[in-house]
Amino acid sequence: MICVGAATFAAAAPTLRAGPPAVDGQPSPQPEDKLFMTAAIAQRDRWFGFAMTLPGLFALVLVVLFPILFTLWTSTSDFTLLKPSNDAFVGLSHYTQAFATPEFRHALSVTLAFVVAVVILEFLVGFAVALALDKVEHGKAVYYLILLFPLLMNPIVVGLIWKMFLHPTLGIVNYVLSLVGIPPVDWLGVPDNAFWTVVAVDIWHQVSFMIVLLLAGLASLPKEPYEAARLEGAGTIRCFFWITLPLMRPVIVVTLLIRLIFAVKTYDIIYIMTRGGPGQATELVSYYIYRRAFVGLDVSQASAMAVILLLAVLALTAWLHRYMRSLAQ
Amino acid sequence: MKKFLLASSMLIASAFGAEAQTINILMESVPDTRYVQEMLPEFKEKTGIDVQLEVVNYAEMHTKLVPQLVAPEGSYDVVIVDFYWVGEFTKAGWLQPLDERIKADNFPVDNYIPSIMELTGRVDGTTLMLPFYNYAMGLTYRKDLLEDLKHQEAFKAKYGRELKVPTEWPEYLDQVKYFSEDAGIEGFKGVVNQGQRPDPISMEWSNYLFANGGRYYDPETWQPTLATPEGIAALTQYRDNIQKYGPIGAANFSFDDAFNVAAQGKAYSYLTFNMFRPVYDDPASSQVVGKMEIAPVPGGGLNGSWGWAIPKSSPDPDAAWEFIKFIESPEIAKKRALLGGAATQKQIYEDPELIEKYSYYPQLGELLAYAQNFPVFTYTPAFVDVLGRELSLAVTDGKDPKEALEQVDKEFAELLRKDGKLQ
Repeated sequence: MICVGAATFAAAAPTLRAGPPAVDGQPSPQPEDKLFMTAAIAQRDRWFGFAMTLPGLFALVLVVLFPILFTLWTSTSDFTLLKPSNDAFVGLSHYTQAFATPEFRHALSVTLAFVVAVVILEFLVGFAVALALDKVEHGKAVYYLILLFPLLMNPIVVGLIWKMFLHPTLGIVNYVLSLVGIPPVDWLGVPDNAFWTVVAVDIWHQVSFMIVLLLAGLASLPKEPYEAARLEGAGTIRCFFWITLPLMRPVIVVTLLIRLIFAVKTYDIIYIMTRGGPGQATELVSYYIYRRAFVGLDVSQASAMAVILLLAVLALTAWLHRYMRSLAQ
Repeated sequence: MKKFLLASSMLIASAFGAEAQTINILMESVPDTRYVQEMLPEFKEKTGIDVQLEVVNYAEMHTKLVPQLVAPEGSYDVVIVDFYWVGEFTKAGWLQPLDERIKADNFPVDNYIPSIMELTGRVDGTTLMLPFYNYAMGLTYRKDLLEDLKHQEAFKAKYGRELKVPTEWPEYLDQVKYFSEDAGIEGFKGVVNQGQRPDPISMEWSNYLFANGGRYYDPETWQPTLATPEGIAALTQYRDNIQKYGPIGAANFSFDDAFNVAAQGKAYSYLTFNMFRPVYDDPASSQVVGKMEIAPVPGGGLNGSWGWAIPKSSPDPDAAWEFIKFIESPEIAKKRALLGGAATQKQIYEDPELIEKYSYYPQLGELLAYAQNFPVFTYTPAFVDVLGRELSLAVTDGKDPKEALEQVDKEFAELLRKDGKLQ
């Protein structure tokens, strides 16, 4: 933004200098001339601005729009890894086939449960920690550093570490539990346990994201409303519900949206920890689509499923955004 | 002087020519790749050809290979092919036939173990690969416990048979039960399984299927035959071994999770890839050094292997063949085996020098001779995915074994029809 503004200013400067000066008895420009000149400058600025954004736009089209359009095109053709060409148009048959596949429908429902669980739990934990940290006076940087560690780790590493920790016979978690007399827990070998274990590992990995964003939001809140509320005799809980929560709403919306989008795309920890099992307990849709493309070799079918997922995420995002905005009003 | 100049320039040109000849191979980061690497200076000395190995994890291999195989000229001169991919690669026509080269050089293809040559060698009568290394499965067990008189007596008293290396499947199942319930060793189990979907569970359960006399399909018609009494018995036994006689968590164990349990001395047996056998004797990763041994799975275990191939997109197929011919020559195959390589040629398992070094080589030779193959067709990986899902549902989610296997048969048949194998 700064660069474009500066460039625009620089481009406009010679134009201003070249304007008709009131010398040599020449008449000064009339108001309508000034208006015309301003419009011309604005027009030139617009074109210049557009020209300056072209490389960025081109890059965006190339790296964002082209893959999406290619995926759309592939989803309506018969592209497989054995016959990598898009020449046979099959209409929407891959879309109807996707909805007719029980595994895909199951993967969608598991993903929905997973996303709801991780987003809600991470938000609750994240907000609680952010509120606590907001009051910390000393050593904030140390807390930040510790909290950021999981977020900085690659999900593959997170999956491997937790898989090792949670090994039912040789892992440290069951060993520690045994010290206090708790029998070993089968963290990943039972469908229900496996689902909640994966949710817990995801929370461990991603909750810092919520904390950091919410903490930044809390730090930027104005102090005056709190001072006024205190004078009126409002307590901490009342301040939270009547001041903090309404003021934080925009930050909360953005945080939830970003986390929701990322949660839908969860793939790595499933690949490392459970491969979608046991049974179909952790069959998330991103992992299912990957297998459809690279194990089933059916790229077109996988593309149709990816488009369905994209539309679902878009719809969910739009709904959540609208809902939160309506709450704000 | 002119002659001298001409000779010098030719010498320089040939030197540059030789230096420029380099072949590229994509390989998996496994011990056998390391043994190949150690042979490269000898190959360079013999032929003057440089070999560049690009070593990656298994998960990356397929994704890296396919774009190169599809291209008119790829960057790999030689590729290695897992038996999983044989159907796909041959259907797509990505590999060059090797028969003429084999004939021209009189290469001893009969040295290979027939079942391995069938798996990663010949496809429909054409030789498209030469076997590289095997990963057939065997029964690894605690020989110290089998030799223990106390256990021998207790086992005989309870089950009415000798406690010895099992040669019959029911005998092995009894041993599993004994070491889980009757041996009186705290925290010890009769078996550890690798129940994670899709590959670990599918590969391991195949042994149970073969041991029960079952098979994946009718070899004449390709009609799936899993939902049969043999298949159902195999799945019921597998489920019981995981749920009743195995350690908790086995339903989601991958190869390394299960191996670690066995290597830490927490289980009597583990059906696994034979290449794990020497690792039991490595004090850095095992608590049971000298206590584990390998035997053929009663009924014949599952076969597995990789093969060398020259892709049609190979930039230098002649140099590629020179390399394959060298690395698979009996002399170099023996050198690789001496380093610890999982050989695919028969004579290696009868070599006195190797038997002296690896006492279990005769058992390995027997194991390979009776190993049975997994279905190889274009959609083998997709089939493994289906099989793994249904087996895991039967083991962990209460799905009836018969119902699970009927579902596998149904989806297996669809994949076979898609491939044109089943009418």
